[in-house]
Amino acid sequence: MKSIQHMMNHACKLTLAAVALALLGACAAPPPPPPKSYVALLASPDGSVGKVVVQGQRGEQVLAKAQQGALLDGSQPPFDVSAEKLQSDFGAAMKARPELPEQFLLYFELGGAQLTPESKTLMTRIVERALARQSVDMSVIGHSDTQGAANANEALALKRATAIAEQLREMGLKDAVLAVESHGERNLLVPTPDETAEPRNRRVEITLR
Amino acid sequence: MIQSGKFLRALSAGILAAVVTSAAAQTPSPTQQATTPAAIGYVKTVTGQAWVTTTGQRVSAAPGTPIMIGSQLKTMAQASLGVTFKDNTMMSFGPDTELTVDEYLYDPAQSQLKLGTSLARGSLNYVSGVIAKLKPEGVAVKTPTGIIGVRGTQFVALVEDVK
Repeated sequence: MKSIQHMMNHACKLTLAAVALALLGACAAPPPPPPKSYVALLASPDGSVGKVVVQGQRGEQVLAKAQQGALLDGSQPPFDVSAEKLQSDFGAAMKARPELPEQFLLYFELGGAQLTPESKTLMTRIVERALARQSVDMSVIGHSDTQGAANANEALALKRATAIAEQLREMGLKDAVLAVESHGERNLLVPTPDETAEPRNRRVEITLR
Repeated sequence: MIQSGKFLRALSAGILAAVVTSAAAQTPSPTQQATTPAAIGYVKTVTGQAWVTTTGQRVSAAPGTPIMIGSQLKTMAQASLGVTFKDNTMMSFGPDTELTVDEYLYDPAQSQLKLGTSLARGSLNYVSGVIAKLKPEGVAVKTPTGIIGVRGTQFVALVEDVK
């Protein structure tokens, strides 16, 4: 009895070994290890693909292709990650992604806080878009061109941003979180030398988040 | 001589008091603070139970909950959370996830840009914002086994719980 059991055990082991060998033989390259802690690169919402660098305890890897992954310890070369795997590991996180921020540019007549006619029309749209969001916070950043002294431009850009924030509040965004800032002439949309009048730089940037 | 010393002391005390008073007058009132908090981001989406802990204060996450430097974000089982930062970086999390915002600097006009977070466990979907665009080397996600550097993109990261 004992010897039969022993023989059967032995036979089992042999069969297992044969199956394992057959599996190994079937695949030319060994299959990639099941990813544990890993990072995977995806295309950005705008379609572009950037790069991710992993500096791990056991090496460094660079990902430059969408749906490519690397272990976080950096121990293995990048591998492809299937759509199914991404869905099962990250479905919930992806679904929780907030609505993309939206940006608007408002332009001003020379020297003051008076909006151009086109920008006046845009204000209505901005309010509509802000109200359509479930929970909105917005930044209102004033900019000037380089004509005039830097500190005067700092003040002018703040005056523009404050005037716009005030109007937005009056137009229905009374309770919205509004962060008002001035970048003066320090953050030009169109690079120019100093003392240059440039309508495209006289602007207020509004971002809805 | 003694008297003039006293007078000077009294005078300087008076000046000090005046400085303190004007400083106190400039401190925003609680209502002003409520409209302009030192938030670096806000919670935008929540399902299930998620928490935001800032300087020891734990609050149940809801759309509009502010995120500060040092905030710890945590989702429970079957929960998820999505946050948008001031520079338009978006981070969202699946269940059983824990992330801390270690560093955040966002002042493009002064080139002060930094975003450092630690993902202790769970799943993260990261959409990079202005900081990664202007200063990629300023962005890092630390995990227990490695550091993720971001060069303007979207990525996902999974950190398995070490038990």
